[in-house]
Amino acid sequence: MLKHIIKNLCSRRNTISICPEDITAEHELLKSLEELRDDIDAIYGRSLRIRQVDAGSCNACEWECTALSNPIYDIQRFGIDFVASPRHADMLLVTGPVSRQMELALKKTYDAVPDPKFVVACGDCAFNGGIYSGSYAVTGGVSKVLKVDLVIPGCPPSPLKIVTSLLAFLKQQR
Amino acid sequence: MNDQNYRVLSSETRLNEEYIEVAKEDFRTACVSVLKRHDAFLRLMFCTDERAYTGCFRIYAVFSDSRINRFIVINSAVKDNLAYPSITPDIPAAHWYEREIKDMFGLVPEGHPSPQRLVFHESFPEGSFPLRKDWSISEDDLKQWSEGMVVKEPYKFMRVEGEGIFEIPVGPVHAGIIEPGHFRFSAIGETIFYLDSRFFYTHKGIEKQFEKLSFGTGVYLSERVSGTSSFSHSSAYCMAFERMCGIELPDRAAAIRTLVTEMERLYNHIGDIGNMCAGSGLTLGYAKGALIKERLMQLNERVTGSRYLRGVNTLGGVESDILQKSDDIRSTLAHVVKDYRDFMDLILHSLSHIERMETTGYVAKDIAAALGITGLAARASGIDDDMRKCHPHLLYETLGFESNVLTKGDDYARMLARAADADRSILMINELLDMHFSKDLIAGSYSVPSMQYALGYSESPRGSLFYWVKSDHEGSVFRVKLRSPSYCNWSAMPFAVNGDIVPDFPLTNKSFNLSYSGCDM
Ligand code: SF4
Repeated sequence: MLKHIIKNLCSRRNTISICPEDITAEHELLKSLEELRDDIDAIYGRSLRIRQVDAGSCNACEWECTALSNPIYDIQRFGIDFVASPRHADMLLVTGPVSRQMELALKKTYDAVPDPKFVVACGDCAFNGGIYSGSYAVTGGVSKVLKVDLVIPGCPPSPLKIVTSLLAFLKQQR
Repeated sequence: MNDQNYRVLSSETRLNEEYIEVAKEDFRTACVSVLKRHDAFLRLMFCTDERAYTGCFRIYAVFSDSRINRFIVINSAVKDNLAYPSITPDIPAAHWYEREIKDMFGLVPEGHPSPQRLVFHESFPEGSFPLRKDWSISEDDLKQWSEGMVVKEPYKFMRVEGEGIFEIPVGPVHAGIIEPGHFRFSAIGETIFYLDSRFFYTHKGIEKQFEKLSFGTGVYLSERVSGTSSFSHSSAYCMAFERMCGIELPDRAAAIRTLVTEMERLYNHIGDIGNMCAGSGLTLGYAKGALIKERLMQLNERVTGSRYLRGVNTLGGVESDILQKSDDIRSTLAHVVKDYRDFMDLILHSLSHIERMETTGYVAKDIAAALGITGLAARASGIDDDMRKCHPHLLYETLGFESNVLTKGDDYARMLARAADADRSILMINELLDMHFSKDLIAGSYSVPSMQYALGYSESPRGSLFYWVKSDHEGSVFRVKLRSPSYCNWSAMPFAVNGDIVPDFPLTNKSFNLSYSGCDM
């Protein structure tokens, strides 16, 4: 087994190659993330821990958050990470129009996050309910339920947009 | 049709849909007889509120006879006493539909083994049925519902009792970045005896929302039912509308829809095969899968303007001529295919990963058939269910599409089914890029007929996907019914994990990778 793993790690065929388009995107991203790192250092002492809550999203917003951890964006290397427990979080990042059947769970999760904490409404739905606004089954956005510190518009906002919005926001807080 | 033990009140055929009206007393007999006689699947069940026109509700059960590409739609009027004979005792696949109809319209399925609420949780007011045309709700009731504090009738989870049995409740908010749902394991030690689950946390009232929008804006909403199947949803929705209006899709539009459907399948399947590696701790596999998926999503954005392939479909055709960007698709795909082969090579040589998947999450063929499991999960359990083959649409017949059926029914079979599907998609994308089509992207002018209806469907990455649309007297939306594959396939989960250990659940869950939002509507 071990031999196999070593073979896999070493063999040229199994290395992860990055095509030219990725490299340009990568450079820009690296630049902005380097800046972000200074801000994170200053505010949170080298780490920003985010708890993501899906409050009725269509799931595209979540997949963009998940993509932030893929080898191209790889935000963990800059001290940003999504955490499993709200008790470890500095920030609650909410997606979806806050369906009525998720409102209670969202509030409970918020209460479990220690102070100081920020709330981010990620995506058009989280901002104002998006295409679902006016439906009986949604409250119509995170601000209907919690005080929102930052809105990241988009349907869904791309991973790059999510990161750069966080960067701009953290700069303001400094 | 004289050998049957029910009386046909009326029947009508539209395209490949045969509508058979029977008295509600005959509903169950008719459904059972169609299922047996045609060796059919129950594809969906729904209700409409026609009281304003005919004074009754109408229930529909759609069966598909895949051997001859035909849908048989049994329907009955329900009025006065709002009950009808449940078909669940004979056709278990109906169990959720009937509960949903009860929540949404207040029709009671008599004889249903577990008629408790499905969509609405405890604090939703009683006697309130959102899909009735004359429904309204007070602000107070909405507030009470949102706060979730008033427990009128607690949900009854299946309880397993006995020495050493304990319950593990999980969710709705999970540890990772996942959609919300509640799972309750009854376990002894590590072994799962039973898994009960509860969904609809993300219920957004989408079917009601469709009724407030025009058919055109509905395309935008259909793209937002389940993000990772945005394109399959809007294709099925548009197809239903086009069939209702008698619109013939230009061949270029059909080609683009076929192409983009396969692009959607490809990024999903590769991502999901990678996600399964996360379920067994094969980190390198996970990273590779995520990287290839990201590259495909960047391609999606370059050719359609959306990472989720939104904004391509429109009523009667497609908005943009993606075939013009065939060079980018071809070259990116060539690059991706190389990495994908390496990735599969890694996975198929990772014995520990394969051992975790083999025999785990087993779903037997007869159980899958009884529950109406669809798509990839059905094909992994020996059921040949693929809309591209059994109900050929778009260009699948021209492409000579053949489905892949496996028999083992475990996590590994579902992974192999994904890989086989991805291989097919790559072939079909390349084939489509080499073909020639006329110039038109959108069908010529049309008008929306009044009080007409039709089915639309697609094979999404997860399985068969249905829309049924009906217009009203003014040609506006009367009813949109949607049925995502996840709605059918969640029922397989308790069977799949039975006897496995709790830590295998994430792996099995990823092998199905179902959507909560698509299911919860
Ligand atoms: S903003 Fe768009 S992508 Fe995000 S949850 Fe809403 S509909 Fe989905």
